[in-house]
Amino acid sequence: MDSHFLMRRIHSLTGVVPVGLFLVYHLYLQLYLHSGAETYNTAVNSFYDSPLAIWTLVIVVYIPLFFHAFLGVRLIFESTVQPSYTYFSHLLYWLQRISGIGVLLFILAHVWNTQFGPWISGTWGTHFEHLSSGFSDPESGIITKTVYLLGVLGAVFHFANGFNTFCMTWGIALTPKSQIRVRIFSILLFLILSASALYALSAIW
Amino acid sequence: MPDTITFKIKRQDSESSGSYWETFVIPHVPNSNVISCLMDIQANPENSKGEKVAPVVWECNCLEEVCGSCTMVINRKVRQSCSALVDQLEKPITLEPMSKFPVIRDLAVDRSRMFGALKKVQAWVTADGYHDLGPGIREPQNHQEIAYKLSECMTCGCCVEACPQYSLNNNFLGAAAISQSRLFNMHPTAKNIADERLDTLMQEGGIADCGNAQNCVEACPKSIPLTESIAEIGRQVSGKLWSNIFQA
Ligand code: HEM
Ligand code: SF4
Ligand code: SF4
Ligand code: FES
Repeated sequence: MDSHFLMRRIHSLTGVVPVGLFLVYHLYLQLYLHSGAETYNTAVNSFYDSPLAIWTLVIVVYIPLFFHAFLGVRLIFESTVQPSYTYFSHLLYWLQRISGIGVLLFILAHVWNTQFGPWISGTWGTHFEHLSSGFSDPESGIITKTVYLLGVLGAVFHFANGFNTFCMTWGIALTPKSQIRVRIFSILLFLILSASALYALSAIW
Repeated sequence: MPDTITFKIKRQDSESSGSYWETFVIPHVPNSNVISCLMDIQANPENSKGEKVAPVVWECNCLEEVCGSCTMVINRKVRQSCSALVDQLEKPITLEPMSKFPVIRDLAVDRSRMFGALKKVQAWVTADGYHDLGPGIREPQNHQEIAYKLSECMTCGCCVEACPQYSLNNNFLGAAAISQSRLFNMHPTAKNIADERLDTLMQEGGIADCGNAQNCVEACPKSIPLTESIAEIGRQVSGKLWSNIFQA
């Protein structure tokens, strides 16, 4: 066993636990957008009330995500383009890589927009107002909306398809039959998480 | 106008020289395959401009899709040229050497890396010494079906040619070697060194280099369940990872 093998396994694991689980939790939290500004802000802020909040975020989300993204980008450069093999799984293989890059760019913009931007301007805490005013801005609103739509769907696709390959990587789904079952599960995962995310966004669209 | 077939062939004169395309037009023979056409070109090596050129070099042996030596890229897809029937191919027919191996000349490539991979994973039955070891252990009935399928691999290279993770400048062992590891790890005698095979597969170039694109299983002419083998070896190395961490 060498470090290369270990790194790839950690990469695979971090994609699901904790980053994937955080994504599910994070999308769940967004459903509060439908409960109005006050409830939503309380729901989000209550997480930050804990003295451990910032540590939890760094250890559970930022470090694993940074590791996964860093190695992910390196892996993309190791692929060879094989355009003549037009199989569905091969398409997914490339969508996994393209959505990875998209998600990376989205996360950077998203963290800037919702965390560092408001911190710097001293308006942090009024999350609902910040998001909805960004979405309804007459000039940049349409861009913000498009970026969120693509970013969120990209992240959900990347996680759902990643879960599918995760089950191959770790040998969880062995037979072709069980691999089909896992694929059906990951399609359902994609549909349910997308529906939940789109529904959440509809509150401030 | 006589019935003819046009071949566009990617040629290379030596291991180190550059490649170039050359067109050949030959009479159409019904039921011919790519090898028989290459033989026609060899008999009269004249390109479409009417110039006499060196005959095109290729490899073949069994002519019945069991040896794997005639593998090349035909109309952008890798396959065996002996079983590629000309009447079923789109024209003009393009022939290229596989891109994942060093070219020796024209369509002949050096597949040593694949055989090297089989050596690295010790894809053989270990028998110690020359003395009579008695009868071998019987292969369990429920293994036979899958073991037979896996044993059909002819190390042809289709799986690694189609694989986006296998390239000239990395050292990925590839799907064939992973699948052969599975075969020998389930063999009642050969499994005595299963751990050593997994050790190799847990190093650089091993199973972690697979990106689950699943092109290999689509490209394999023998329909070997390669992604099942990759998942099975994935499970075996997961088990070994676990014991390395908690039981070492
Ligand atoms: C931030 C930028 C990200 C990049 C650049 C990235 C890149 C990648 C790449 C290239 C792979 C394929 C690895 C392989 O098959 O060998 C991958 C797999 C995966 N990613 Fe990401 N990713 C990112 C973010 C995320 C996020 C946010 C999640 C979770 C929601 C995630 C979950 C996964 C999962 C589950 C896998 C499958 C691992 C496996 O095949 O075993 N990734 N990622
Ligand atoms: S696994 Fe299939 S494609 Fe790969 S070398 Fe063996 S026979 Fe050829
Ligand atoms: S599953 Fe994809 S990456 Fe893995 S060996 Fe097969 S073709 Fe290559
Ligand atoms: S000549 Fe043996 S496979 Fe084609």
